Amino acid sequence: MTETKGTGSKERFLIRLAGLKPGTSPDEMAAAVKKLMPRLSQEKIRQALDRLPLTLTRSATKAQAVKVKRFLESKGAVLKISYAAKAVRPPPQPEAPKPEKEPSAPPPPEATEPEAPQKQPGGADRRAKPRVHPGIQPHPMGLGEILDRSFRLLRQYFWIFFLIILIPQGLYFLVNKCALVISTGRFTPGTPAGMAVGFSIYLFSSFIIFIVFQFWAQGALIYAVSETYLGHRTSIRIAYGALRGRLGRLLGTLILMWILIGLLPGLSGVLPALILPKLGQSSPFIGLFVAVALVVSIIIAINLLLNWLMVDKVVVLEDMAWITSLRRSKELMKARTEKGFWKKTKMKASLLLLAGLVIGIAIHLAIQIPGVIFGAIIRGNLIILTIQEILNIAATSLATVYTAIAMILFYYDIRVRKEGFDLKMMAQNL
Amino acid sequence: METSKETLTIQTPERVGFQYALAGIGTRSMAFLLDTAFRGLFLLSIFVLTSLVSPWLPALPIAKMASLSRNFIIAIAILGYGVIDLGYFLLFEALWSGQTPGKRIQKLRVIRIDGQPVGWLESAVRNILRAVDLIGGFYPLGLIVIFLSGRSQRIGDYAAGTVVIIERRRRVPADRTRLRTTTGLWTPDIELNLSGLEPEQYQVLRTFLQRRQQMDPTHRNQLATELASRLVRRWGLPRDRQIHHESLIEEVVGAYERTRKAI
Repeated sequence: MTETKGTGSKERFLIRLAGLKPGTSPDEMAAAVKKLMPRLSQEKIRQALDRLPLTLTRSATKAQAVKVKRFLESKGAVLKISYAAKAVRPPPQPEAPKPEKEPSAPPPPEATEPEAPQKQPGGADRRAKPRVHPGIQPHPMGLGEILDRSFRLLRQYFWIFFLIILIPQGLYFLVNKCALVISTGRFTPGTPAGMAVGFSIYLFSSFIIFIVFQFWAQGALIYAVSETYLGHRTSIRIAYGALRGRLGRLLGTLILMWILIGLLPGLSGVLPALILPKLGQSSPFIGLFVAVALVVSIIIAINLLLNWLMVDKVVVLEDMAWITSLRRSKELMKARTEKGFWKKTKMKASLLLLAGLVIGIAIHLAIQIPGVIFGAIIRGNLIILTIQEILNIAATSLATVYTAIAMILFYYDIRVRKEGFDLKMMAQNL
Repeated sequence: METSKETLTIQTPERVGFQYALAGIGTRSMAFLLDTAFRGLFLLSIFVLTSLVSPWLPALPIAKMASLSRNFIIAIAILGYGVIDLGYFLLFEALWSGQTPGKRIQKLRVIRIDGQPVGWLESAVRNILRAVDLIGGFYPLGLIVIFLSGRSQRIGDYAAGTVVIIERRRRVPADRTRLRTTTGLWTPDIELNLSGLEPEQYQVLRTFLQRRQQMDPTHRNQLATELASRLVRRWGLPRDRQIHHESLIEEVVGAYERTRKAI
């Protein structure tokens, strides 16, 4: 191949900044990268350097690649240069090199912004062929690390995650308050007797709508957390939009799950109901029998709940629904990837939920204490009461978000351990 | 010194950077719950021991007991609990170089912000201020401060100038066993193509070999097939040969490691 300067060659190179040599100052590196990517702000570059690797270009010519390599390596960068899959656009014309002692900054190649949201493969395709992620590498995690990572994700994308869950709760609160004020003329509960039936019907229907929105928000959160965890960008609109086509299946599957959880333990109550009349009312075994049936019911319910803990993630992220998704969730929760009683998947899930509960209590305390203090000082004040209710909603949303993030990361952890999910993603670079 | 979202980098005067992974709320909560369990067990054992030994101890005359104020006895009991509660963290962190039993299990360590081990003073300050973080129970204040802190520090950590880090201990991979004993290379093509194998790609193959025992057999097989066929395609190895996928990956990883050792 005869390589001519500029656009003569058809070969295009992908240049990635993979790391920094020991002792390299990130500030100097950021300044060097800024020369190559003038469109990006210094702050954005610093953030990108914290999350290496950073793709500098996907369409450099050989001459450009050599220049960029020489320049950045002199500043202490560790670069990874490979053939680009296909040229996206013709690269910019490089400037003529200036004879300098120190390698000068090469002309800025086509800057690659952090990855924009892209259309996703659906269903089985998505499951079989996960998208190549831009940098973040999932790996098997311990419980502590899952909780840590959840906290960091929450901190990093606080407003996206928090608002996704807060929107339905806040709307429900606002609509209810408005309806209460309009129908009763009062801000606090307490309905005139004549309006009680109508108001109850209204409350029930608004609650049903709230549940639909709540499930939608739950799905949107799963989508958003999954995207950010895998290193992609997302927003509230995208997350809610992504769920539009799957909302029916998500709702149906979750309702089916809750009906089954409610019904199956109920069946264990049918047996004593059938046997008890035959034993007679004075039998000494009645109390024991009822107690055993109750314990069995609770154990069955907990076991089912743990089996189907991943069902919402499966519906949203793997495009399955109904019984298939329940089976898939059970399959994931039965995965035995580590030895030891405490490392059983269901045991880990229980510990995770317990830790989530403790942290949730802390979140509730942290957010609600100010409202409680004000409430104790100024009793019966309408504004204080409203503030208390708002703080309660905020605390519930935040605690829900934290535990939900932890469970989504746990879902990925199971898949990483059981199915080599991370290796499948990395294999695409092989 | 600089902190990113997950790490604390300490630069020495020679401009050598030491990176520490910062512990987040999750690992710290787990360590705290473990320590709470240990303290509970310790207090329970004191109670049981006292109950067992008390019949043999000489009884205090009732007249002397009456002269003691009830509030005074309660105060002594609270003080005793406080000493055990505070002393547990203070002693362990000072004597075990920033670790308590819970932290040790979770592989956490408290260090000074400059990377030095904590001493008695730092341990005392961060643990006395634990009461402020813990106010109302379940660390509500600590949680807010950690959430807002770039280095995941609570009030006690800010006052004492400490951070909690995760200790990384590199271990020799557990599973380096080979599926089949081979005498030499399966095919010389592998060695010819090894120079094209990048460290990241080698890492994928090696990680697969390390983790394959944990994986579900179907997915293990599927992944081995995918990795091996990518290698075959990339290196242009003859496709008509019967290839055992995992063996091919083992050969590639083995050959790569031998080459690296030779270099």
